[in-house]
This record gives sequence, structure tokens and C-alpha cells, in this order.
Amino acid sequence: MDGELLSETFVELTDTLVAGFDVIDFLHVLTDRSVQLLDVSAAGLLLADPRGELRVVAASSEAARLLELFQLQNDQGPCLDCFRSGRPVACADLAAAATRWPRFAPAARQAGFAAVQALPMRLREQVIGALNLFRAGPGALAPAEIRVGQALADVATISLLHERSMRHSDTVNEQLQTALNSRVIIEQAKGKLAERLGVDTDQAFSLLRDRARTSNRRLSDLARAFVDGTETLSGLNASETRAGLPADRQPRQ
Amino acid sequence: MVTESRPGRIWALVAAQAARRGGRVSAADACVAAVAAVQVSGAWLIAAGGAEADHLMWATDEVSEVLAELQLTLGEGPDPDALAYGGPALASDLDDLEAVRRWPLFASAAGQAGAAAVFVFPLQHGAIRVGVMGLYREWPGPLSGAQLGDALVFADTATLLLLEAQDRAAGEVAAGSGPGGQPAGLAVHRAEIDQATGMLTEQLGVGIAEAFIRLRAYAYAHDRRLSDLAGDIVARRLRLRPDPDPCQDGQT
Repeated sequence: MDGELLSETFVELTDTLVAGFDVIDFLHVLTDRSVQLLDVSAAGLLLADPRGELRVVAASSEAARLLELFQLQNDQGPCLDCFRSGRPVACADLAAAATRWPRFAPAARQAGFAAVQALPMRLREQVIGALNLFRAGPGALAPAEIRVGQALADVATISLLHERSMRHSDTVNEQLQTALNSRVIIEQAKGKLAERLGVDTDQAFSLLRDRARTSNRRLSDLARAFVDGTETLSGLNASETRAGLPADRQPRQ
Repeated sequence: MVTESRPGRIWALVAAQAARRGGRVSAADACVAAVAAVQVSGAWLIAAGGAEADHLMWATDEVSEVLAELQLTLGEGPDPDALAYGGPALASDLDDLEAVRRWPLFASAAGQAGAAAVFVFPLQHGAIRVGVMGLYREWPGPLSGAQLGDALVFADTATLLLLEAQDRAAGEVAAGSGPGGQPAGLAVHRAEIDQATGMLTEQLGVGIAEAFIRLRAYAYAHDRRLSDLAGDIVARRLRLRPDPDPCQDGQT
């Protein structure tokens, strides 16, 4: 593990206490850091919503196949087990997990993952979500890595409460719901931008995120303004992306 | 804490209220049903066209009406906060320093009107905002986890019902498009639905609320599951176009 990056990551977190802090972007940074710091290839932060669903609010990649693995875990999977038990859940070899998770395990393997770890996001007695880590090769995370992973999950929890006092349970619930709704805004914006530029939704996300940073705006605020039509994202075009859509798609009416 | 059957249970309560009234299920029914289920003293519904509150749509009692009108007049309180910040505004004790700091005028006026706690939920889905649902109690204290979860689903239900009511074709589309009339998409959340909605704003040249209504109307008219239809749109297997008839065009 990169000790310097580890220190840097936790020092960065003090930046989260200043005004104008963008919690949604920060949660994405945390998932990126998880992949950089730990021996994993993908990470996602999931929050529980009032319907009883675990919903991804940030991931190290917006690739549809990865996001699908998070959505799948509402029926079964390490995140659901972790959320319900409030304890870490791991599987070092998904090839042997077909009985444990008959739909999730094959889907995760098909997506190129061999092992998985889920860590609970806890606030006092409540479990509000989970940090989901995927590895391309089989094998469990080392104990030291699991400790760092849990610390990252705890930091994600804390960052959701930065704006106001943690004394009130009111605050926690307000922030959780705002974060969940922000994710929906971002999905709506991804779709609108993807359609406008003729790119994939994960490329649309990267463009949105880059523009939010260069214009020093919160990602969710920019996404909302774009969906509302008050922000045109002028100057963004498909040539800034790595690849647009093939020209020979034939959509049917 | 959380139950899988929550959306179904909440819908049954709302539908039962409508049946008692003898009318088609509406957002007002969600309000009334919420009062009993969440165990509060009253509820109100504010309609909004975007980020600004428009008007009081419904109130279950006089105190609720006073609380709603107060905020419309003062421009201060949990209603405007919920609309502006895109999340619930919860105050389990209006005498609390926190509440007084947030809403100096509203907190004391609301107390005088008889409210000890207020809980306001935006009626929203992402960037779609149609209003707020406010609840108040005559006694202080937070909503329990279960009550909060129920309140949020009542708010989601009211959101979908308000959108359906706004749909010009509401007369043709049933009050709900799922089994037993429950609105499609209430129980299940799929990112593709939100992405497809965003795509439709471009394909149809309409705002996000209209795009959402049109997506659901198309699913209903073609007897398709909302999530499957959304998947087709996101994968670009299907593309919607504005109606050729200018009178039915998505532009208002």
C-alpha cells in the first residue's frame, strides 16, 4: 500500500470541512482512492433508501456492467448481507459462491471479478450503507487493507454529515436523502448529455465531473442546472471524449 | 427498520383513503393517509413549478393551513428549504436552538400556531420538483426510523400522483400502471429509468417532468415494464420522437 497516498488521502479529508464542499464528488474521490490504495479493481458506495433498496451513490467507474452489479445486490450479494448484519462480508473466490449467491456470483464473474469485499457504513447503531470492493483475481484482502477500507467507509459516512451538527438524527436523515436524490439528478444529466453528444452514459459522467471541477461547481448543482436547462455546458463536444457511438446504429421508432 | 413491502403497504393505505372518499387516487389522499400512518397531527401539500413554491394545494386541518401559508408569506421555513436543497427539512423540536437558528421567524410563529415539530419532504425525483409535503406534530420528538421511511414513501407516492395528474392524458392513463393500480416505478428504482428520462428531454425537446410522464405513458400504452422500456432507450434500441400532430407535441 502506498503510505504517502494513504496519508494524503486522510489529510485531504480535512478539506471536506470547508464551505462549498461537494459531498457527491468527494464520495467519488473516495471510491477512486479505494482502488488506488487497496488491491482492488473497482469500488462502489451504496446507501440504503427508505424503500429498502441499496443504491449506489458513487463508484470508481460508471461502466454499466459495474453499476448493474450494485443494482443486482438488492436481491442477494455481499452488500445486502453486510447491510443486514452490520458486519464485513467477504468472498475470496466467487467461483465457489454459486450456492451462496446464485445470481450475483456468476454475474460478478462475467464482469471480470473473482473476489469481493463489503464493508458496512455505520453511524452509531445504524447501518446506512456499504462500501463494495471488487478484485479481478481471487484471494481475500489483507487485514491491514480491510482496516483501511473500513476507515474509508467510515470517512464516507462522516462526509455525509459535514454541513451541520451530528447531534441531531434529523441531520443524518436529511443528508442521506439529499445524497440519494443527487444521484438521481446525476443519472438524469448523464442521459441528457449522452443523448446530446451521442456518447455513452459513463463518458457523459466523466465530462460532467470534469466540467464541475474546472468551473468550481458542485457536481450535483451542475447536473441539476444542466437538466433544468439553465446550464448549457457550452464548449463540451463529443471530440473531447475517447469514442462516440458507431455511425451505423439503426434505432427503431 | 426497512421492509421490502413498504411501497405496497403505503400504496394500499393511499388507495384505501381514496376509496373512502369515493374518488380517483390523488396526492391529497397520500397526505391524509400519511397523517394516520406516520402519527402526526396534520399535513399539507404545496405545489411548485421548479425551485419556487407556488401555492397551497391541500391541508388536512387549520393548523397545517396556517403553517403552509406562513412559509409562503415569510419565504422562510422547512418548505422553502426542502425545495431549495433537494432533501427533507426535519425539525423535531421547534424550540431547539437549531430550529430557531435556521428559521428565526417561522420557528416562533409555528410554535404559536400549535406546532412543536415539523417534517417537510420535497416532492421530487432527481431534478423533477413538483412541490413539498409537510407534516407537523403538536408534541416534540423525532420521527422513528420506520415513520421516516414511511413518510418518504408517502412523499414519493404523492410525487407520482401529482405528475400523473399533470399529464394531459391522465384521463386515459389509469391512476396507477402497476398491479393493483400502484404507480410503476414506485417500488423499484433503476438508474436506467432516470437515464432514459434524461435522454427523452433531448429526443422530445421537453422538460424533465414532461419527459418522465411521457416515458411512463409510453410504457403503459405499449404494455411494457418501465425498467425494460428504459433499458431499450438507454441501449439505443428504441428512440422516441415528438408527436407529428402539433397539438399533441411535447412542447407546451
